[in-house]
Amino acid sequence: MADKSKKPVTDPVAAWQGLVQQWEQEINAWSGKITETEQFSAMMGQATKYSLVAQQAFAEHMEKVLTSLNVPTKTQMEEMSERLSAIEEALERLRLSMADGPEAKSAPEPRRTRKPKNPS
Amino acid sequence: MADAPQNDGPDIGEQVRREVDRALQRNIKGLDFLLAGRQHVGTMEKEIIHRDGTAILYRYKPVEDEIFRVPLLIVSPPSNRGYIFDLAPDQSFVEYLLKRGYDVYNLDWNPPRRDEAKLAIEDYVDRFIPDSIERISKISGEQDVSLAGYCAGGTLAVIHSALYAGGPVKNILTFAAPLDFDHMPLFKAWGDREHFDVDYLVDAVGIVPPEIMLGAFDLARPANRPAGRVHLWTNMWNDEFVKSYRMFERWAAETLSVPGEYFRQLIKDLLWENRLARNTLEIGGRPVDLTKIDVPILNVVAQHDHVVAHAATQPLMTLTASTDREEIVAKGGHVSLVAGPAALKRLWPLIDEWLERRST
Repeated sequence: MADKSKKPVTDPVAAWQGLVQQWEQEINAWSGKITETEQFSAMMGQATKYSLVAQQAFAEHMEKVLTSLNVPTKTQMEEMSERLSAIEEALERLRLSMADGPEAKSAPEPRRTRKPKNPS
Repeated sequence: MADAPQNDGPDIGEQVRREVDRALQRNIKGLDFLLAGRQHVGTMEKEIIHRDGTAILYRYKPVEDEIFRVPLLIVSPPSNRGYIFDLAPDQSFVEYLLKRGYDVYNLDWNPPRRDEAKLAIEDYVDRFIPDSIERISKISGEQDVSLAGYCAGGTLAVIHSALYAGGPVKNILTFAAPLDFDHMPLFKAWGDREHFDVDYLVDAVGIVPPEIMLGAFDLARPANRPAGRVHLWTNMWNDEFVKSYRMFERWAAETLSVPGEYFRQLIKDLLWENRLARNTLEIGGRPVDLTKIDVPILNVVAQHDHVVAHAATQPLMTLTASTDREEIVAKGGHVSLVAGPAALKRLWPLIDEWLERRST
């Protein structure tokens, strides 16, 4: 952090940053008061529900559009991603089971004898 | 507001030169910022030692020849990536711990697949965490483990410790872990049982998308994002500031979706009924009795945490049976507990001092 004692009489950047910080605090404090109200809870509950319905409707519409264009849809991409993820997981399991095997070579483990620097 | 400027600084010519130089740098580097790819994160070498669907257990490679006997398992919150513990050199909690001689593991999460929508809290505390501890025990040859958790990862760590009291958990270390949801006012308002239809949401989506949670955080601090952009522009000449901004921005943008059943249980049992703090929570038909926890506890909270207030963490300090309980209230906010240069200097040495004496 800059040494404030070295700042000149006018530092427009520092003043600007101060103003932004003050604005940030005031807006956040105002929002804090709003979120405590019953109306806010009601509004949020409704907003969550409506946005979900809208998102689902939009997603269904997009699926139809993409299918008609012969382009993979989000659902198909998700299926692909899950299959890849399952393959990745199976490979990881194979690697780990080989690492557990009798012929597995691993780096020597550090000694577990370290003592605290402040034992009291 | 900024402090009043003093008179003994550089002259006006030097000031003008500096500001002109910074203005030029802002434009040049601002263009770089817009064209840059994803900010690299992660600094310490690690390997996957266990994977089970959404759960992924990493071991960070020890960097010291002699380490403490008891390994440390850090549980990430299911909605966030664990690389927050290892963001960048000189501001990585993992790097700090490895250099101090700990054997560090991280139970991290991938986005849940659709067939994992039914995962509940039980799967986390009664399957993923015990499985991880078993793997760690096999590698380390030790029966004991120190269990740490950040945010909801801390909540899961505490629930597990209560269910498995007398088990392998030797120490509990929590960072801003919510336990008393009556002291989570924003989430109480956002998820008010009168207005928030969690069944409708979960039944409709299966996997709860991150936007649902991010919306609540933005409402808590609506000015943070635009003000952050302004601070970014003002400091665009400063490479370190920009790098740090991009790392944290990437982490926030990569918030994970969570399984619907887990979310439903979180809302109904923890947020609405506050069962954990009332000691009435049951997981898999077994009571989660916080009074059974009797191992050493370190509760770390942030002074200016707008997500998890100090009061929300208090059941760990008041309900548990442990006679060895300590608390650190650190300056800063929710994330600055586990990442950033300030924690490296001020907070983590205190944690090390507490943990090292209990890790032999």
